[in-house]
Amino acid sequence: MSYNYFLGCVIPGRLPFLEASARRTFEKIGIKVGDQAKCSCCPDPTGAAQLDHETFLALGARNLCLFEESNNNILSLCSGCTESLKMVKHILDNDDEKKNEINLKLKVIGKTYKGDIYIKHFAEVLHENMEKIKEKVEKPLKDLKVAGHPGCHYLRPSEIINWDDPLNPKTLDELIEAIGADPIEYDMKNDCCGNPVEKSDKEISLSMLESKLKSMKEAGADCIVCVCPACYQQFDFNQREINKNKNTDYNFPVFYITELIALALGIKTEDLGLNFHRIKVNEILQKIP
Amino acid sequence: MQMVDFEFRKELIKDDFSLNYCYQCGTCSSSCPVAFITNGEYNPRKIIEQSLLGLKDLLLKDQKPNVWLCCTCQMCVEECPQNVFLTEIFERIKNKIVLLGEPYPETFKMQAKSIIENGLAIPLTQPIIRRRDQLGLPNVESADISELKKLLDATDFEKKIKILEESK
Repeated sequence: MSYNYFLGCVIPGRLPFLEASARRTFEKIGIKVGDQAKCSCCPDPTGAAQLDHETFLALGARNLCLFEESNNNILSLCSGCTESLKMVKHILDNDDEKKNEINLKLKVIGKTYKGDIYIKHFAEVLHENMEKIKEKVEKPLKDLKVAGHPGCHYLRPSEIINWDDPLNPKTLDELIEAIGADPIEYDMKNDCCGNPVEKSDKEISLSMLESKLKSMKEAGADCIVCVCPACYQQFDFNQREINKNKNTDYNFPVFYITELIALALGIKTEDLGLNFHRIKVNEILQKIP
Repeated sequence: MQMVDFEFRKELIKDDFSLNYCYQCGTCSSSCPVAFITNGEYNPRKIIEQSLLGLKDLLLKDQKPNVWLCCTCQMCVEECPQNVFLTEIFERIKNKIVLLGEPYPETFKMQAKSIIENGLAIPLTQPIIRRRDQLGLPNVESADISELKKLLDATDFEKKIKILEESK
């Protein structure tokens, strides 16, 4: 069974250049991914999903039904969407009573959830195809010190995500290594970037970010790499905010892993929209042969 | 004075039975990045203790500790030796705050409204549609809003959210 994209809200609506890098990367390594029409918000596991459990399940199940109808598995470009959709599937597949309740709700829009398809995070699919990526590298990103930020919903809760080691993740660093770059170790690698707390307390959110940046700086990182648009925003949008308040000088360029892979595969920078990054990436580009 | 509410305790245990397994070791709080940053003012262990005791007003009205500060990183869930699904229990506490019409961060409500109106947490604006075009990206065919509304009516979502506005 093939994949269709689940784009989510943040990437298509705010960071479309990340979507461009993902689409070009998957094309280049020869994995065909289709488009799924009529999706709604997953819903956001750090936002609307917290307001009403029944609505969380119903909205998530409706999205899953769309993919079941088109007979495609889900390739999600966002860690939050991946967690929400996997969580809804986990709950409905393991609790018939709940599944029946939600199917009663779905009946009003003529849908029934069956549980036929699976959900994968895009980096999981990239990791499965790592050998293909290695073969196709044209410009290894030699000597580039990359602070990989796996983020939370990419890994946890592991019972539901069921993928990398939730406390000692390796997959992102292996992808960084596959394109010739150097995945650096830093103390706070497994910590949250702080983005979700921004909804309730900006100051706490920025303090969490600052601890991570400090740890990355101490480890000598050239740039940051992430696999979730919420983390991307936190790193790319808020370093300046911290500098303003704390008199610091953080200026790490922030990449999606698909952007770095695309660069290593020789995809042109113009095709990636790298100019839309808030923190300019030119210095990093100069390091690439 | 805080009153023990046995019905509330029962409700929470019914929502997620793993609450019963907590023996208050505090591993959750020691693994929580928000507890660390706030010097323990945010304290997941305490939220679970108050849930087990059925301290309804403290959790839903006073919101001390403030359950909305959970960053949902799931470290506590991963580290808990008793497999208590803390984030799930916190979600249900938030559900109850919303349903009671007690105050909660505006950003959550705004996101819910955007989903009701656009199907998406972040609507596609004209400048973004142009930028997508510029990047050679396909059009996003969004969800049918009237279909979504039917589903959201079936779960009483707007009503559950409106309860908040009426109580103000």
